[in-house]
Amino acid sequence: MYGGGNVFETMKATALADEDPILLAAFEARIDRGEKIEPTDWMPQLYRKQLIRMIEQHAHSEIIGSLPEGTWITRAPGFKRKLALMAKVQDEVGHAQLLYSAAETLGKPREEMITDLINGKSKYSNIFNYPAFTWADSCFISWLVDAGAIVNQIANSKGSYGPYCRALERICAEESFHLKYGHHCVIHLATGTKTQREMMQAAVNRWWAPMMHFFGPSDKISVHSEILMKWKVKMASNDECRQQFLDMYVPKIWELGLTVPDENLKKNTVTGEWEFTEPDWEEFKRVINGDGPCNAERIAVRRTAEERGRWVREALLAPKAKYVAPLA
Amino acid sequence: MILKSLDPRVTRLSIELSPDESSVAKDGLDQFETYEAFVQSKEGKPFEHAGPVHAPNEEMAFLFAKEQYSRRGMFCNAICVIKTENIKVSEYTDNGQDIYNLVTDHPSGNENESFEIFHLMKRGKQHKHEGSVLAKDFDDAMAMAKKEFQSDKPVFNVWIVKSAHIMASEDEDKDIWDTLKEKQYREATDYKAADKIKAFKENQA
Repeated sequence: MYGGGNVFETMKATALADEDPILLAAFEARIDRGEKIEPTDWMPQLYRKQLIRMIEQHAHSEIIGSLPEGTWITRAPGFKRKLALMAKVQDEVGHAQLLYSAAETLGKPREEMITDLINGKSKYSNIFNYPAFTWADSCFISWLVDAGAIVNQIANSKGSYGPYCRALERICAEESFHLKYGHHCVIHLATGTKTQREMMQAAVNRWWAPMMHFFGPSDKISVHSEILMKWKVKMASNDECRQQFLDMYVPKIWELGLTVPDENLKKNTVTGEWEFTEPDWEEFKRVINGDGPCNAERIAVRRTAEERGRWVREALLAPKAKYVAPLA
Repeated sequence: MILKSLDPRVTRLSIELSPDESSVAKDGLDQFETYEAFVQSKEGKPFEHAGPVHAPNEEMAFLFAKEQYSRRGMFCNAICVIKTENIKVSEYTDNGQDIYNLVTDHPSGNENESFEIFHLMKRGKQHKHEGSVLAKDFDDAMAMAKKEFQSDKPVFNVWIVKSAHIMASEDEDKDIWDTLKEKQYREATDYKAADKIKAFKENQA
């Protein structure tokens, strides 16, 4: 699941001018031929830096994203839903491991990434800074947040960096279960009793704004993003992903008799583009910079797990303790 | 201030908000070693690289690999793990160039150790087990691999590992992957709902 729109940092144009032109040309030729880049290949600093940032954010999103869903495992309605949600959360944490490993091949150790996460230095998908009040919220996440992430991940799996592509292929294969499971949960509520329908509608109302934020603000057309597209780091713009998501899922929401809380949302039959009320990007900025309803809790829970699990890791690393049978 | 959450179990953790920053800085201590995991999807198919795991030792690596790469048992017949530092990685080639064409050594004929050879047939894909050779060291194993396995199809990268450095599942334990029947809930096919949507729409009309 869970990889959202990426916000790329800007870098000085001079950084690229410092690269060896011959190596750079060979690198670009390899990408143009459609061949993937592997870890020991020469690559420009900008490429390495942006990939680490992107893959690391994606990994953190998997870890943090499993928190609002994980919290619903014990309260999921029925044994089968509990089993399925447990399996899904296990998948998500597994995805984080795959992604951390892919980022590690670029030179940043996993423990450093985790340290940056729990110290608030790295970002993760903003949508998980919102709380899951009801079971229907958990269903919304499983179906539509995953759906949004799949749009991004399928695009990225055609990128140029071998280890990231391999991880994403594995991840996308597992996402098909998440998507079907989430849809199944939402259908059950939406076609159920009046109370169930109202609960599902309330969840859609709560999550629509964060869902529109999920793909990130419109990309500025800059030399920088042009280079990242050319190097197949960035495979689709945030707007393209948002449009694709709306195209695939708004009809599926509507067919269940649910409404979307945006009266301007409609598909322009002439352009084929979806029109919608511009998301509140001030709120997006405020939340991504730490002032959302759950930012502090997400980081605190992750940090506590890290601290309270330390003795286990230390015990595993120092297996010198000798077994002595009890004395009496 | 103690964290209060919507989830009572999180509240019960009694987490102090605004902790001392220095307490979370980690030293290198708990960076586990990495192992590469390989999966054989079916009887008779080659082992294929699945991905890495981090673990404090080989046994834990094996358990993590089983969870991470074979929890959907239907695609697994056997797994093995190899400590990453025990894998000798050749150069990578590209654009149709076969890595074996860069190998100029001839086999020494001194065949006292068994090595396993893995090929990368396309950049971005996974390494696959090609076979094993007897040789005196890694360079010699590469020369032997060229003799045994070079073909018309270019190989872009070779991994070589001593056979003794592989920890693999036992054939007699194969039933650990026979979990499909009780784990249907992990599969997309278990969540069909088209009938429900159809019935709902008919009801609305």
